[in-house]
Amino acid sequence: MSSHEQQDGPLGDLEAELLALGDLLDVPAPPPADTVAAAVRARLTQPPTESPDPAGAPDAGAPDAGAPDAAGEGRHPVPDPAHGPDSLRHRPPARRPAGRPARRRVRWRVAVAVVLAAVAVTAATPQGRAAVARILRFAGIELEITGTPPRPVTTTAPLPGERAVAPSELPGLARFEVRTPARLGPPSAASVSDGGRVVSMFWPGGVRLDQFDGEMEPYFFKQLGPPFPEYVDSVGGVEGWWIGGEHPLGYLRRTDGTAVPLRQAAPTLIWSSRGVNLRLEGVRTAREAVAVAASLR
Amino acid sequence: MDDDEAIARSLDGDLAAYEVLVARYSALAHRTAYMLGAGNEAEDVVQEAFVKAFRHLPGFRRGAPFRPWLLRIVANETHNLTRSRGRRAELALRLGAEADERAPDDPEGAAVATDRRGRLLAAVRRLPERERQAVVCRYFLQLTEAETAQVLDCPVGTVKSSTHRGLARLREEVGNELA
Repeated sequence: MSSHEQQDGPLGDLEAELLALGDLLDVPAPPPADTVAAAVRARLTQPPTESPDPAGAPDAGAPDAGAPDAAGEGRHPVPDPAHGPDSLRHRPPARRPAGRPARRRVRWRVAVAVVLAAVAVTAATPQGRAAVARILRFAGIELEITGTPPRPVTTTAPLPGERAVAPSELPGLARFEVRTPARLGPPSAASVSDGGRVVSMFWPGGVRLDQFDGEMEPYFFKQLGPPFPEYVDSVGGVEGWWIGGEHPLGYLRRTDGTAVPLRQAAPTLIWSSRGVNLRLEGVRTAREAVAVAASLR
Repeated sequence: MDDDEAIARSLDGDLAAYEVLVARYSALAHRTAYMLGAGNEAEDVVQEAFVKAFRHLPGFRRGAPFRPWLLRIVANETHNLTRSRGRRAELALRLGAEADERAPDDPEGAAVATDRRGRLLAAVRRLPERERQAVVCRYFLQLTEAETAQVLDCPVGTVKSSTHRGLARLREEVGNELA
């Protein structure tokens, strides 16, 4: 390389030393190549994609090829949350290649069986996250994918520290740039929660948009059974997940990761944009939700 | 089947051909992800990168080398991973056990060598990110300057200068003496 030519001996020696050092570094053995290949292939083929065109195939998570489903009710593709539209992507804590031991699956099933709070405690530790394999993270939201529909939440609770504010006050109260979807017009109400980390706007008909700090660990968690979230790929500049059914929604308290149940949420689009995570709830169809998302100003 | 053919077939939807590519480059991708800071999540990053690479394959310039193109995706995924956690990409590198086992007939010399390697590695870890990445790509991953430029998404000139500055800093920190 050039510095070899430009420099005298010692620097060249340093380069040789670095090359030798590289060979001595302790890098964990990669998983077997055919295992990786099979896992990748499984992810490329398993999603219930609307497009058979491989180039347009949305990401879908590893369906644990090679291991029977823990609950024996068939496999479910796991959505891949890693491809948010910006650099602040969240990824699932543990995606297993095909053929990993079934041990984690059992623990996962146990975890699914326990109540909300316990799941949150499990998820609060790195080990727990690894064990609860189907907790996925995307756009600051943890998605807990279970094989059976979760029990609906019948109560409603506000976000931590939530207070109503005038929509016009929002920009000064949030820790990030607040935007409004032009398509919905001005919101009829607004609130700020958790010290400005979450901003919510409301429109008539149960439509709400939550915007929250994208730099942090997940804020919300959702429990999802079938049908599984639908990947929305770059429609109008939005790449995210559409959760078409009602589902329990909770909040992860920043201080200790405690899961706070909030309410049964309506269909929701989740995505992230410019370092801010967003969830739009209450719009009826994915297409309309994406149109709203694309109209953020 | 060479890369070009595998890519052409993959573009036609032949997943078996893509599997060949994945198998061919998975170990290098893993090493790259690990060394660029993915640490224990290198496996996830690699799987993600291959899935993403497949999706972006239609945009791959035919005839170009696949290796640096893929490694750039690996580097991006690694970057996203570390950034999404809001932390600096730690260089989770350690000296392997075999580094201590050389020259068993010269324990003192071996100890000195080990010490120097440890200091050099620590100095690499402390480099500013840009320089560290250039040094890791050039020496630990043994990529060419052109490959490094592609992987790090910067001009070759930047790779040259980052590497040069990084080497100068390392030299300053650990000196020139060879163990």
